[in-house]
Amino acid sequence: MTNKISRRKFLKVVAGSGVVGFGVMAAGCKGDPSGAKGWIPDQYQGKGDFPVNLKGRVAISQDNPSIERDDEKCILCGQCVEACKNVMGVYGNYPLPLKNEVACVGCGQCTIACPSGAITEKRNIQDVLAAIDDDSKHVVVQTAPATKVSLGEEFGMEPGASVGKKMAGALKAAGFDAVFDTCFSADLTIMEEASEFVHRLTKAKDEIPHLTSCCPGWVKYCEYFYPELMHNLSTCKSPQNMMGATIKSFYAEKKGIKPENIINVSIMPCTAKKFEVGREELQVDDQRDMDYVLTTRELAVLLKHKGIDLNTVAESEYDSVLGESTGAGKIFGATGGVTEAAVRTAYYLATGSNPPADLFSWQPVRGMKAVKEANATIPGVGTVNIAVCHGLENARQLLNGIKEHGSKWQFIEFMACPGGCIGGGGQPKSSLPDIKQKRIAAIYKEDTSSAKRCSHDNTEIQSIYKEFYGKPLSEKAEKYLHTSFVNRHDRLF
Amino acid sequence: MAVLVDITKCIGCEGCSVACKMYNGLDFKAKPRNIKDGHLELDDNRWTVIQEFHTANDDLRFVKKQCLHCLEPACASACFSKAIQKDEKTGAVVYYPDLCVGCRYCMVACPYSIPKYQWNEQFPQVAKCQMCESRLSKGDAPACVSACTTGALISGDRDELIKKAHEIIASDSRYVNHVYGEHEVGGSEWLYISDVPFEELGFKQVSDTPVTNYSKSYLSKVPFFAAGWALFLAGLTYYNHRVEKNKKDQDDENKDKED
Repeated sequence: MTNKISRRKFLKVVAGSGVVGFGVMAAGCKGDPSGAKGWIPDQYQGKGDFPVNLKGRVAISQDNPSIERDDEKCILCGQCVEACKNVMGVYGNYPLPLKNEVACVGCGQCTIACPSGAITEKRNIQDVLAAIDDDSKHVVVQTAPATKVSLGEEFGMEPGASVGKKMAGALKAAGFDAVFDTCFSADLTIMEEASEFVHRLTKAKDEIPHLTSCCPGWVKYCEYFYPELMHNLSTCKSPQNMMGATIKSFYAEKKGIKPENIINVSIMPCTAKKFEVGREELQVDDQRDMDYVLTTRELAVLLKHKGIDLNTVAESEYDSVLGESTGAGKIFGATGGVTEAAVRTAYYLATGSNPPADLFSWQPVRGMKAVKEANATIPGVGTVNIAVCHGLENARQLLNGIKEHGSKWQFIEFMACPGGCIGGGGQPKSSLPDIKQKRIAAIYKEDTSSAKRCSHDNTEIQSIYKEFYGKPLSEKAEKYLHTSFVNRHDRLF
Repeated sequence: MAVLVDITKCIGCEGCSVACKMYNGLDFKAKPRNIKDGHLELDDNRWTVIQEFHTANDDLRFVKKQCLHCLEPACASACFSKAIQKDEKTGAVVYYPDLCVGCRYCMVACPYSIPKYQWNEQFPQVAKCQMCESRLSKGDAPACVSACTTGALISGDRDELIKKAHEIIASDSRYVNHVYGEHEVGGSEWLYISDVPFEELGFKQVSDTPVTNYSKSYLSKVPFFAAGWALFLAGLTYYNHRVEKNKKDQDDENKDKED
């Protein structure tokens, strides 16, 4: 062969390319350094210490039961910091260096604020689907009042569409064994909490101001930042957990099902509920009150997975025994609603008759004002000064004032999320400005169209006290319906 | 340009590591390659990581890990093809993939085991923090520093940051009196201060002597030795050729005489 490479030719090529390579390198040619092939948002251009409006992101620990984040979707826009700091008063309100926890009340407002969908609730859809498919389990579901006026949005309905009955039908079609209404246990909560409040007003004045405790985000905030006020918190469990405890005791007994074979699922507008259900204090006889929480958004995913369209699904009533509700239970979903419902029943408990008409449309506690003040005159008890606060940054400012000057109120309602549960961290995302008002309006419309508007008028509530709990604050009620709190202050401070 | 990391101010949001991946176009989906003692370690798609530590008092601390950009980088000195060079202007220790032959001497040389390798690639490169040299040369801070909201990362002139670090330590008794990176292996551009002893936070105890010093005394003589050796061999060859040529000439002469 003529083009055979000789040993000499090969060595020449190798040595030649070596010399050329060395020459190129020595001449300063080095190509591009690695990296710098991506992008970074505009607020990170320039020197690192330039002041910018929004930047960075909140810390989310791996074991956070409420929320999680997909780093690939995070665009470092800083919206979560804005929500956590300026709306919820958490970020930046604890000292550095850290103690032993990454502070998070689980409210989920960052999931609403996140524009790229990086932060989401920690999903339990697969757990619930597995429970439904497990024939040995009796899967019970309950729906929170605020989810009934928001789930429709996920199916293209107008904001504020009331879909309670459609949701009950959809849940039955999805295979849940029983569908109960959290509005029922909201009525139960009012019975307990109003009794507790009247008791505190008359006999345990050191526990005044009475602070509501049905919002798990607010409760954890109080445990973190205001442990000295923990004894003022109502010992009542949240409606969700009152329902859970009742299902695994009263309902289980009635149906002859072992509590360990019951899986309690709730549909909540809230991500903090996912933390709440894991609390050790919320167990009775080694049984967790609740097993899984699905947010409104998760339920929409689950229904779509099952091929159920909320627009066309057949309506259904909630199942009885724990399904009847009054207007008082329904307004829990809006800021001021717990207060209004509690005052209606407190009035009845103190006087033996239903309150006057103006307490059924009690405007001072309604609306989106940060802190609302009202007073109610209850014969035999006197005038009760009330404050209603939503958004934890507002709560922080209010409580700092109370710490300094004392409280002029006897009853204060706190809701972590702006607008109350209807603006919860597990609600459908929307950029419409008046979406919260529309959901609130829908809730009050449900109240006015209800035949019964006071918790104590609920016949199923009356019968559950007759058959099981005896009376509010009885020993049995204390065991199943009341809880204690954990001082978390030294985990941050 | 240097960076001061105040470990007491880190809340573990990992915004820095996301900014790094975004800016450098790294793969977010890549599974972690190295997990040691429960801590996520650097790999070819993680040029910086946040490691979580629980101290003896059960306090939570987060430590940012990345290339420290030594003043006298052992990796650059180990690289015979000059694929790692210390940038004179910014101080960043920069890797040039076009010059790399893939020998991985840098990975062995680094006292902190920082450089990683793209084991999954057909034509693999070394991977390590570049300190965003392209941003530094424009006067911007590294991407990670820009993304830090709590002030745990600040960038600036090295001497000024060292001064600042000592001021912080002097003003707050909780801090450990040690600026990690001031003297370690001859000093680095990245400096750390902490309220927890550095050994508890996974920081390697290294000598203050630059790694390059150990080999400098004899490796610096290599070029002269190599040149001398080549000269010597060339001389030897020349001599042998001459001897042989002379011998051949002599033989030829003798042959002619015989004829």
